[in-house]
Amino acid sequence: MTRLHIENLQAKYGEKLILNNINLSVEEGEMIALLGPSGCGKTTLLNALCGFVPISQGDIFSGDRVITHLPAEKRNITMVFQSYALWPHMTVAENIGYGLKVRKVKRAEIQSRVNELLRIVKLDNLQDEKVTALSGGQRQRVALARALAIRPDVLVLDEPLSNLDAKVRLNVRHEIKALQKQLGFTSLIVTHDQEEALVMADKIAVLHKGEIVQVGTPEEIYNKPNSPFVADFMGAENRIEWPTEKDGFSDSSHKITLHQSSNNEPSNQPKQVYFRSENVILSTRQTNSKIQKEEGLILTGHIEQSAFFGSNYRISVRCGMHIIQVDHTSDLPMNTPVSLQVPNHALYIYDNIVENKVHQKSTVV
Amino acid sequence: MRFKASYNLWLIAPAALMVAVFFLYPLYFSLYSAITLDNGSFTLTHLEKAFELYSNDILFTIMLVCVSVFILAILSITIAATIALSPFKRITSLLGFLYRLPLFIPFIVTAQMMRTFLAKNGLMNNAFVEAGLLTPMETISLLGWSGIIITFVWKQMAFSTLLISGAMAALDESQIRAARNLGASKIRILFEVMLPQITPTLGVAMVLSTVTMMSVLSVPLMIGTGSPTMMSADMAFRVNSYGDYHVANALGLVSYLICAGLAWFYLRQSLKDKGAVA
Ligand SMILES: Nc1ncnc2c1ncn2[C@@H]1O[C@H](COP(=O)(O)OP(=O)(O)O)[C@@H](O)[C@H]1O
Ligand SMILES: [Mg+2]
Repeated sequence: MTRLHIENLQAKYGEKLILNNINLSVEEGEMIALLGPSGCGKTTLLNALCGFVPISQGDIFSGDRVITHLPAEKRNITMVFQSYALWPHMTVAENIGYGLKVRKVKRAEIQSRVNELLRIVKLDNLQDEKVTALSGGQRQRVALARALAIRPDVLVLDEPLSNLDAKVRLNVRHEIKALQKQLGFTSLIVTHDQEEALVMADKIAVLHKGEIVQVGTPEEIYNKPNSPFVADFMGAENRIEWPTEKDGFSDSSHKITLHQSSNNEPSNQPKQVYFRSENVILSTRQTNSKIQKEEGLILTGHIEQSAFFGSNYRISVRCGMHIIQVDHTSDLPMNTPVSLQVPNHALYIYDNIVENKVHQKSTVV
Repeated sequence: MRFKASYNLWLIAPAALMVAVFFLYPLYFSLYSAITLDNGSFTLTHLEKAFELYSNDILFTIMLVCVSVFILAILSITIAATIALSPFKRITSLLGFLYRLPLFIPFIVTAQMMRTFLAKNGLMNNAFVEAGLLTPMETISLLGWSGIIITFVWKQMAFSTLLISGAMAALDESQIRAARNLGASKIRILFEVMLPQITPTLGVAMVLSTVTMMSVLSVPLMIGTGSPTMMSADMAFRVNSYGDYHVANALGLVSYLICAGLAWFYLRQSLKDKGAVA
């Protein structure tokens, strides 16, 4: 069953168009991540859903209810705010129970629901603390419990992890996901972190300049980005424009070839090629045997820089005008001549048309 | 280290001297004069005399100030909350401009204005008569205690609304959204989310307004009916008519104690709140 349905939604701040032509459906019990860079309109979309930002066009359905122009207090969509927005003059229990108090639930009932939630978010015994006495992670959980207390139709979370330090963030990420599985609430989670979206969400909607550019499962988004923007945003940060005449591949040590066995498209048609650093196979000239078949993208160049990343080294290889980032298991000295191969399945190739007009996927394998 | 400390002392010396000469000394002297005879010996006779002659006026002053502050608090909170919570931005920005106007009008002008407005044949009554709502026989003068209250509230409202409005604007917008999000009405948000967080500011606005009202001379003189009147008028009377600085200072001591008592109450309250947070 569709819990939340957004149709052709458009929102403006004054005359400035922030969201345009947003279409999205969230099924009951599903968690959808809204992924996009800072400033692309994620928070505005959540605010529009909650009724804090007026909608200039389109409709929002909650179940069969049209809630497009309902006041914020009647929507039954609760938000976990990026800053948590807890009320500092209330205790943990008062914060969590507030929504129920507003709904005139009996005191004993509020008490038991609050206790239940405290247990769920693992804050037992903290009910009488002032929220100002809590750590960031604990505040986050109070905010979550407060939003869940009234059993909302949809829970929306605005970058819930962005204010936490790295270690706590991993824990809370895990906890939110586990809780969502356990309680089965329908939710929309906003993030600018692709890893967060991949790990937590059932589906991802990628937002770019106020429009949804791709919706799909994490695997689809990761493996089949439908546009240069999504590819880049999902970590395929190496980019080469085709053809490459002006890119400095003329001398003998810097060469580039693109072999695509599956089709014989004229290779002079302008294209953009994206790929991830982890998919590049690096071989020094001595171990050239590694390149088994002349397939995919093959580049030669020399090493310009190497940085230790813990599990591997991030090596910058200069290939003509381009600097290609490569993940490699061992450190290599500067200026070592190397060749790089990217298999066809890891290449994202797009027709080189002006970005943001039509995102048309071309030949990926 | 030593050099540094003395150097720092020199830096604050001019300011400290100003405070001592122009503030502490006169204050000390007026308090001293309230409880000593001309020969310098301690006495309570001035205070006794002040109470004997003016206890009615002291009570009258306290009542007036209490009622004014109470009305003031309600009106300022209402205006500030309207500005903070109303969805009609145009109207609220007009309101935001209007309420500030009295800030720039001195008390004596306000008093004069209110006098012509509130008198028996003043502007207000004339307007009612013109409109056919009252006959000239039925008009009543609002000069007297009610006029004083109206004037105090009218003049102080700008100041206290400004403070309260500022405190409300400084609240985190998302806290208010969070309350709406959970279904709270505007009234609930005002009383349960906003007011508890701005009580310190509300306290400051009311204490400062009290001190101002206690010290204004023009309003009781121009709007009051003479008897009973406010302590500030009595003090002026003592000095101007009798050259009796002792009793005037004794009255000053009383009004000082009233304000100090209020300030103490306020400080204790805000410390208590802080203690609960920590
Ligand atoms: N209150 C506002 N008034 C005008 N413009 C705003 C306001 N809030 C956000 N914006 C603009 O809307 C755009 C989207 O903002 P936002 O939704 O906060 O982005 P995100 O949450 O994705 O970082 C930004 O360009 C921002 O400048
Ligand atoms: Mg945001």
